[in-house]
Amino acid sequence: MRLSVLGAGPGGYVAAIRAAQLGARVTVIEDDEVGGTCLNWGCIPTKTIIASTDLLAKVRNLEHFGIDLTGEVIPDLSRIIDRKNKVVSTLVKGIRGLFRSREITLIQGRGVLASPGTISVTLKDGAQETISSDSIIIATGSRPAAIPALPFDGTSILSSTDALNLRQIPKSMLIVGAGVIGSEFACIFSELGTEVTVVEMLPRAVAAEDREISELLEKEFRKKKIKLITNIRVEKTVIKEDGVHALLSDGKEIIAEKVLVSIGRALNTDGIGLEEAGIRRGPKGEIIVNRRMETNIPGIYAIGDVTGGMLLAHKASAEGIVAAGSIMGQDAEIDYSIVPAAIFTSPEIASVGMREDQAAEKEISIGVGRFPFRALGKSHAMGEISGMVKLITDAATDRIIGVHIIGPHASDLIAEAAVAMKAGLTAQELAETIHAHPTLAEAVMEAAEDVHQMAVHLPGNRESRD
Amino acid sequence: MHPKDVRYHQEHTWVRVSGNKGTIGITDYAQDALGDIVYIDLPEIDSSVEAGTEITEIESTKSTSSVISPVSGRIIEVNEELSETPEIINEDPYGNGWIAVIEMDNPAEIDDLLDASEYGKLVDEESK
Repeated sequence: MRLSVLGAGPGGYVAAIRAAQLGARVTVIEDDEVGGTCLNWGCIPTKTIIASTDLLAKVRNLEHFGIDLTGEVIPDLSRIIDRKNKVVSTLVKGIRGLFRSREITLIQGRGVLASPGTISVTLKDGAQETISSDSIIIATGSRPAAIPALPFDGTSILSSTDALNLRQIPKSMLIVGAGVIGSEFACIFSELGTEVTVVEMLPRAVAAEDREISELLEKEFRKKKIKLITNIRVEKTVIKEDGVHALLSDGKEIIAEKVLVSIGRALNTDGIGLEEAGIRRGPKGEIIVNRRMETNIPGIYAIGDVTGGMLLAHKASAEGIVAAGSIMGQDAEIDYSIVPAAIFTSPEIASVGMREDQAAEKEISIGVGRFPFRALGKSHAMGEISGMVKLITDAATDRIIGVHIIGPHASDLIAEAAVAMKAGLTAQELAETIHAHPTLAEAVMEAAEDVHQMAVHLPGNRESRD
Repeated sequence: MHPKDVRYHQEHTWVRVSGNKGTIGITDYAQDALGDIVYIDLPEIDSSVEAGTEITEIESTKSTSSVISPVSGRIIEVNEELSETPEIINEDPYGNGWIAVIEMDNPAEIDDLLDASEYGKLVDEESK
């Protein structure tokens, strides 16, 4: 079996390795760098920078931990970016090494679907190469979306990719879009000392999350003096000497040194020969695939962001595993019932399964348990008491159907919730599982107890919960 | 122990009246029950508030609680000091820990509030 994979992001490179593990001869075509958006301009770079800003926040709080620091604490964004680049290059080399060890051929150039079973590649030096294979996986991913009112120029009006390479801390920044990316950058730059304003056209920040989670994040924004304006659009921007002037839909103007546009991502589906190959696409331009990740053209598969749905690295990887297995004759199908997601704001947010309003739409009678981190010993010991765990069950069966966390290490805590849901556990069963003390995970256990008003560390007559 | 120059709401807030303006805050009993205050969401200037409803939220190491306004009116001043150092409320709840000044719609509302001795009785009841 010869397989060609177009794109080496977290979908494509995982599919390539898995197919090679199963015995395929694999060629990967990548226009830029292996690892794709996730490794080069997304998940990993932002988390590396957040490691610095988290540390900065801790150091600024040293006195509360009984430690004196003489001298100033000064973040140097240029060196933070250097460190980020080093981390990225280490991991890029790691993937290249894995490719070599699996005898996967990496061709660097721009690939286009040509005749069935062939991809024609324009190499970096302009030369052409044609690659033939039995199967093809399209994994070309997505890029930051632009809007006419906010044309990226790389210096004043930035995409998330540009923002990851700023070497000087801006005095002020307007972030357009309070979704995952905008909210993460708001926390990063606010901690670095930038005066941050976030505008969002929807009524709340991280609008894809449970409402209570959004409300708690908005409160954390207020604590950090991040200004959030919702239900508003940017109509026009003019770059002047004193910064970017952004005209808002309510007639007000905001002036900021930098504008970061994080309104969403556009799928990389143009110019790769999809129309010519007759590959069927949906209303948003996404490639339509079946549960085996195969398109309407036999032998051509698609995975990751180009297939629409949730734009998540781990979703792309899971689809890559399914596509590779499917191509290699396994009986593989994708299961989207449990896809956890994390947002690396400060504090972190993570969720899996249904939100409360989604359960209401489906007219499911639900049970809800909540447990605030401030009621947990470990949180106090760590000095991180903001946030809560919210656990939603189907009231008829007590099975857990959704877990939403905002608080310390939420992104790690969600794994337990995902496993519990995969196993079909009830809140009662999760509550009866002994959790080590003192750990943050006890908050998940207590939230499960609270579904039946049995959380040990919550008062009996509660008026306020968070 | 409960200052006599203010009037009290049963939800543990106080108002100190001067003309048609009322300065409000939380009581010593409230700050003690809350424990170390870590954050207060300062109300917005010019916003309106009804007596007996939430004017803002206060967060301590123990809980998040509503602050109930003892009077109705328009918020004309807030204590900006609290945004950086909310612990002032713990230290001086009736003085430097004031939260906001309200231009009262109806100064007669004051008559519905408790005086120091009535509030003292309420607190004694609740602490039993």
